[in-house]
Amino acid sequence: MSFVSNSTGAFYERSLSQLSELRGSLEGLQNQISTGVRISRGSEDPAAASRLRTLARTERLSQVQADNADKLARDLEEAGDELLGVANILARARELAILAANDPTGENGRAAIAEELAQLEEELFDRVNAETLTGEPLFAGTAAGPAFLRAPDGTVTYNGNGDIATVPVAPGTELERGLTGAQIFQFDVNGSPSSAFAVLSSLSAALQPGSPDPAAAARAAIDGLDVAIDTATRSQTVLGTRLAWVEVVQDNQANRALTVAEQQSDLGDTDIGEAIARLQQTLTALEASQLSFTRVANLTLFNAL
Amino acid sequence: MPGSIFQIARTGAVATRASLELVAQNIANASNPDYSRRSLEVRELVGVAPGQRGVLNGVRIEGIARASTELVQQQARTSAAELARAEAELQGLRDTELALEQSQLFEGLVEFEAVLTQLEGNPLEPALRTNALETARQLASTFQFADTTLGIARRQVQDSAAVSLDEANLQAAELARINQSLADARPGTIGEAALLDARDAALRDLSQQVGITATFDERGRVNVRLNDGSGSPGPLLVDGLSTNTITSTTNANGTLTFEASGAAVIPASGALAGQAAALEAQADFQAQLDTIANEVITRSNATQGSGADQDGNPGQPLFSGTSASTIALALTSGRQLATAPAGSPAGSTNASNLAAFAASLGADDGPIASTDTLLLSLSSRISAQDVTRTGLAAIAQNAEATLLSETGVDLDTEAANLVRLQQAFEANGRVLQVATEIFDTLLAIR
Repeated sequence: MSFVSNSTGAFYERSLSQLSELRGSLEGLQNQISTGVRISRGSEDPAAASRLRTLARTERLSQVQADNADKLARDLEEAGDELLGVANILARARELAILAANDPTGENGRAAIAEELAQLEEELFDRVNAETLTGEPLFAGTAAGPAFLRAPDGTVTYNGNGDIATVPVAPGTELERGLTGAQIFQFDVNGSPSSAFAVLSSLSAALQPGSPDPAAAARAAIDGLDVAIDTATRSQTVLGTRLAWVEVVQDNQANRALTVAEQQSDLGDTDIGEAIARLQQTLTALEASQLSFTRVANLTLFNAL
Repeated sequence: MPGSIFQIARTGAVATRASLELVAQNIANASNPDYSRRSLEVRELVGVAPGQRGVLNGVRIEGIARASTELVQQQARTSAAELARAEAELQGLRDTELALEQSQLFEGLVEFEAVLTQLEGNPLEPALRTNALETARQLASTFQFADTTLGIARRQVQDSAAVSLDEANLQAAELARINQSLADARPGTIGEAALLDARDAALRDLSQQVGITATFDERGRVNVRLNDGSGSPGPLLVDGLSTNTITSTTNANGTLTFEASGAAVIPASGALAGQAAALEAQADFQAQLDTIANEVITRSNATQGSGADQDGNPGQPLFSGTSASTIALALTSGRQLATAPAGSPAGSTNASNLAAFAASLGADDGPIASTDTLLLSLSSRISAQDVTRTGLAAIAQNAEATLLSETGVDLDTEAANLVRLQQAFEANGRVLQVATEIFDTLLAIR
């Protein structure tokens, strides 16, 4: 006796699994559309999920590096402002030195000049000890500051160190934060080490009433002031170049952020058009299956009995 | 002989009615998955005496035939056991993925790296230092969270393994009882067919839990041997009327070892095999998680040790502990972060030690890369397992459909049988009527 037949149970089982498969893929598509996310779990696309993790890390680090670049740009601008002030002070000091070197300028005139020079030296001292917005010395290297100290006898010495801190502004790119006070204010005049402060204070001392030959001392000081101005302007150029570099880095950062966002969207976002088209297709298939299921299921001999 | 006609028609009507009852039974059980289609076996009844021509006696009910094919059933059981293994393993792996992805460990590590990089740009800012310290604390609790959720996932698998084990032992005991009843049952009876249905259902449920090989004797009694994953023949689970219980032992790393009749066994398929495989995988991922946690601890503490904090003191360890479950923040203040290289004075803005720290976290062999590798290997494994499962599901569905076609009830066939048997019954009735008329004719002779 043959037992082979088309079992009714098998038919229902098969139809049910086909219908639920269609329903499952419908729900998946609906989920993709409503969340806008194509990959809700890593196992749905392991390679893309790993790539998305890398991109998320790049994005987060870029944000921080952009913050760092902003802060660096502010610090550099501030240092540039201070240096501009320094250059103005030194230029004024040089004018005064030329004035003092003129023989017609009398003793009283020189005393006034000496007074103004002392003022300028005070202002210079303030400017070299300027701090960033967050309270760190601008020109002390990596030392805690203040950058310059004034001894009781009036001599000013550099208190910072020769190291310059670097700031990470892009992957693999660290920019130097600024210049040390030593680089800006200490230099050699005619082979012997000197500083802007030394030049100013010695000139101011030589112009005091009773000095032997103030005009000659003033003429001698012009050389030193030239070197000081030179050093300050050179430093300004260095800071300017560095600032320009930061701007380039910031531009790059903006471009990179765009690329990262684009890649993230390519990898992880639902293609709404495609998803809706597939949703429609699956819906049609499901409706057709349901219809044909009810039609076929109604075909039973018992209806004919 | 009119008496003989009565006898023949009577047996015919009885056999047809019995067949009709079976058709009704088949229709009633059309949606019962454990039910195997029945039919009536009949035989011609002839009385033969030596030297005589013989007497026609109608039809005799031989017994109840039950549709069954051992080969198809074995295929259905094997494929269902494979599918159950794949599904159980996939479920365990998915729980693991959920645990590790939900803990946001990767994001936590990246955030820590980002915060360190930010601090590098402004190493003395108290807010940034505190932020870095709090992010480190957050990272430690993220590790602990990942460890806890992984532990919960492991316990879930262990619980379902315990349920599977109970179910397997229960079904094995049930099979031994059915063997006993089958020995007592008369062949060809409704009772025997019902017992065989129960036997096949128990075998199916048992093989869902653990892969088995079943051998049958002439009475339909079954001996069940466990399929051992090591290739050697496994122990007998059901041996006639006696059963061997499977027991399990939980190892220190959460994996399970099984034992039956005094010897270690490795289930080859079924849910138990999948759960055991999932537990092995979880133990592996747990070890990797602990390695990553330990890497973070040693790298952090090494950098701290090679630097000076904001007050110029040598850096103290950032984290305590050795694994994901024990990692904890050891520092109490942001000032203690050793951003500057060793020997730097207090208040140094030199952040080179911090830069080295951030770089070592993000290095190609660093914890961030290891975490990505961990997640990638886990999700790739799930993805591959899902493909396997889909394939096995198609095979299992096919085998199940074949089995149902062999043993299930087809309502159309039953409807046709219903019509046929109804006509046969009516025909037998007509024969009875004819026999009565013959009698009446004979009695009317005077």
